Amino acid sequence: MKRPTGVAAVGYGATPYYRRGQSPHAERKLLLMAIDEAATMAGIDAAEIDGFVSYGADLEDGPRLTGPLGTKELRWSSLVWGGGGGGSSAAIAQAEAAILSGQAETVVVYRATAESTSGRLSSAVIQGVFGIQYRAHGIDSPAQALGLRTQRILANGVPPSALRAIARASYFHAGNTPHAVGRDVDLTDELYEGSRRIVDPIRLYDSSRENDAAAAIIFTSAERAADLTEKPIHLLASAYGAQGPRWGELDENHEPYTASSQASAARRMWDRTGLGPDDVDAVQLYVNFTGPPVSALVDLGFCTVEDAGEVLTYENLVAPTGALPINTSGGDLAEGFLHGMGNAVEAVRLLRGESYNPVPDAKVCLVSGGPISELSSVSLFGTEPLG
Amino acid sequence: MANERDEVHPFEGRVDFPYWDGLGRDELLVQRCTGCARWSWPADWRCPRCGSYDLGWEPVEPRGVVYSWVRTHLAFVPAYAELVPYVNVLVELPGADGARLMGLFTGPEEGLEVGSVVTGTFQAPSARTLDLSVLTWSLEVAAA
Repeated sequence: MKRPTGVAAVGYGATPYYRRGQSPHAERKLLLMAIDEAATMAGIDAAEIDGFVSYGADLEDGPRLTGPLGTKELRWSSLVWGGGGGGSSAAIAQAEAAILSGQAETVVVYRATAESTSGRLSSAVIQGVFGIQYRAHGIDSPAQALGLRTQRILANGVPPSALRAIARASYFHAGNTPHAVGRDVDLTDELYEGSRRIVDPIRLYDSSRENDAAAAIIFTSAERAADLTEKPIHLLASAYGAQGPRWGELDENHEPYTASSQASAARRMWDRTGLGPDDVDAVQLYVNFTGPPVSALVDLGFCTVEDAGEVLTYENLVAPTGALPINTSGGDLAEGFLHGMGNAVEAVRLLRGESYNPVPDAKVCLVSGGPISELSSVSLFGTEPLG
Repeated sequence: MANERDEVHPFEGRVDFPYWDGLGRDELLVQRCTGCARWSWPADWRCPRCGSYDLGWEPVEPRGVVYSWVRTHLAFVPAYAELVPYVNVLVELPGADGARLMGLFTGPEEGLEVGSVVTGTFQAPSARTLDLSVLTWSLEVAAA
């Protein structure tokens, strides 16, 4: 068999974002419906999917899905180890590895969360990160751990206006997106500033929700993608990992404390593609809270701590006119929170010309996995393969 | 509750058991490599610098500098619900090469900021602290 030269997304599917605990369907059923939607878009029978990848302690393992999907042959099944939402694009990297190596041919990357199966998302995603060195002192949530880092991001000189701009741009894009949970919120500076405090320095509108939802993207070789669809979205690069040791409680003791974990993955992505921040038309950032994505943008090369206040303005971050449109569906804050999977879906949607917030002539879209995590990840999508 | 990565049964088998055990005797112990003298925190089984498994524990003065802090307004941890809003500090220990400990902040908050000097007080175990002896931290001026 000839090895594939590249990988492309051929279909995506996403269920509505229900309020947590309110999905009318069980978690696995939500996921099956998302996979079916993606398969229909891809023009394949869902039984042809031979690889399954997820992350973040997802409970819907590949083998269990083969029954209802009627899978003809299971060739790949993997879960990204550790990192929670940091693994969102790492799952895409594993799919890429499976396809490029010839291990599998048609791989679905997915995430499903429904409280009736997985419990509270804030607990389900943690994977034992908060050991007793935290819990004995009243710390047991991402909001608290990321509040500590946000405090340092601000102390390092990033102005609060940068965090507010990320929130406002997200809600602006949600306003144009019919399925976005935050579509009716007109997030003004006043509403943002006056919103209740969750964990100082994090306010309500700095925070993502918990939702019941599922989403899936089907990947295959670029060669096969060309036969399946007129709009294959090419995976230009993916990468994941971390620089130096990082895990749970060690994360309180490593330097730089506010590092996103994206720097090494980003370096490999830029090296591999020959592209850089200037070539990116839109960024789908992981925004569980508004502080961490600032660290991600710094480590990805879009701004520095020093100029974050000038680059990260509302005007600059909104489509179609901003120079750096982010989270064009509303993202984790305002489209709905699916542990980052919605961001990858929106990248493919945007490049297929199907986003409710189109970016004129968008050719390259970056997906940034959960930052300030023990591992993080990136994936870079394009309308054309690398030359 | 999510499983914990460092969980060992019985509790005495944990890599950080000497730390908790020391707090019960009003003593702050931090792990330090017997081979190369590198301070090691959080505690672990192998020194990443010299590869030694011979890791000891040294007493450290419970006095440090606030590296970061948060004030929690929601009852994320049921046992702490009645304390909401409460403040946690991440305390850097100059006496242990800057090892950072998490802890609950108590006492007057006026002047609390990154860089504040805090001192620790040994607290007896309670249900709130998972039946573990802990250190709580206060501004040095307030403690004086």
